[in-house]
Amino acid sequence: MEDGQGRFAASVLPHLDAAYNLARWLVRDAHDAQDVVQDALVRALRHFDGFRGGDPRPWLLAIVRNAAFAWLGSRRSGEVDFADHEHELDAVLALDAPPSDPESLAIRRAERQEIDAAIAALPIAFREAVVLRELEELSYRDIARITDVPIGTVMSRLSRGRHLLAAALRPEAARNLA
Amino acid sequence: MNDDDLWLDALLDDELDAAASLALQRRIAAEPALQRRLDDRRALREAIRGQATRHAAPDALRANLLAMLPAQADASAHAHATAEAGAGARPGNAATGAGAVADPRAWLERRGARAGARRRMALPWATGLGGALFASVLTLAIVAPGTLGWHRGEAMATLQTAEASEAVSAHTRALLVDHPIEVASSDQHTVRPWLSARLNFVPPVTDFAPQGYALVGARRDVLSGETAAALVYRHGAHVISVFVRPVDPTATRAAEATRVVRGFNVIERTRGGLAFCFVSDANPHELRTLADLVAPLADG
Repeated sequence: MEDGQGRFAASVLPHLDAAYNLARWLVRDAHDAQDVVQDALVRALRHFDGFRGGDPRPWLLAIVRNAAFAWLGSRRSGEVDFADHEHELDAVLALDAPPSDPESLAIRRAERQEIDAAIAALPIAFREAVVLRELEELSYRDIARITDVPIGTVMSRLSRGRHLLAAALRPEAARNLA
Repeated sequence: MNDDDLWLDALLDDELDAAASLALQRRIAAEPALQRRLDDRRALREAIRGQATRHAAPDALRANLLAMLPAQADASAHAHATAEAGAGARPGNAATGAGAVADPRAWLERRGARAGARRRMALPWATGLGGALFASVLTLAIVAPGTLGWHRGEAMATLQTAEASEAVSAHTRALLVDHPIEVASSDQHTVRPWLSARLNFVPPVTDFAPQGYALVGARRDVLSGETAAALVYRHGAHVISVFVRPVDPTATRAAEATRVVRGFNVIERTRGGLAFCFVSDANPHELRTLADLVAPLADG
């Protein structure tokens, strides 16, 4: 197994940061994220024998994502039922259409902390799409594989997620908070 | 939220093919409002990419991974040996003889096959550029009942306009990245059971190849938050998709409505408790011919 181990390490180690980052954003806790990644790595190793090529990153991230959802499902069942409410959120977003005044749409120069908070506040389906796209810079196709939804759904989630982020970071949103 | 945001996002994400990207950039050049939205999206992206925290794996995690390797590898090997002794080696994993575990590569390939095998299709409005180069598409949709409140007659016209708009969105979104067929078959006896196994109603599925409208396949889609079925037809160089969904049979609903939504011809028909929505950038006569085949009006 020496060979398989080396191959596993070579395939997975370079993506350990990506794995941890995804888990960290999904479960929103540093300690829990470590547990999730550890669990995912065990699963990944167990299923690694047949992996003989291709990009290991989406493969690994799909396992991490499933481990994170399993973790969330066992603790906060409300969070993963998001799909049922996705359409309701659409209605909310429709009401919250961008104002016609283009100036008010401008993204404020936001601090790291504010941006992190805005991403963390996103519903999980939007959050994972935004994290995979903006932080991991994965293609729509890879994101669709990892999150197990059609590409069209990835596109609309990403777009809605960005819409929510833009709204959260708009100047008047900051004034309201102040 | 509207389709323009999806296009602008896809442009920023470099997910459009060259022709679609060019077509969108021409539109942006002509519409300052679009340019502003693109600028906003780009600023948002730069803020996120520049500022959001990308959490690095803690050293402890890395150390744990390295420490776990030998033990896990042994356990893994043991598990395989046990499984193979018990069940015999499965064919197809000759190189490592790993019989007990799923093949991740096969998993990826299986999931990626539909998407990966097909090239991206151009945006529908890109057809204005290349004309015959691009397939035009008709879509007829079926959605599960109840979401939009069709029973309220006075709001019907508005609601049906919203439906048409949503059908066009679903149609164009599906075309944007990939040709959206989940079950590719010209055999109605394959497509129909596939759909009926996944929907709580059974849409009519007929191949009209003799009349020039060949069934290409079908997919599920989401309209008004409900799972719908979309049938995809091909007519010459044109691709046609058709959405169908059940509706409240007691609702007041126009037998037929025709409109143009963002350059697409849309024909909506209600027949036998099903609402059909045909969406196309092909010419209205060709669209109507298919509509007459799929959902003929009661009295012609």
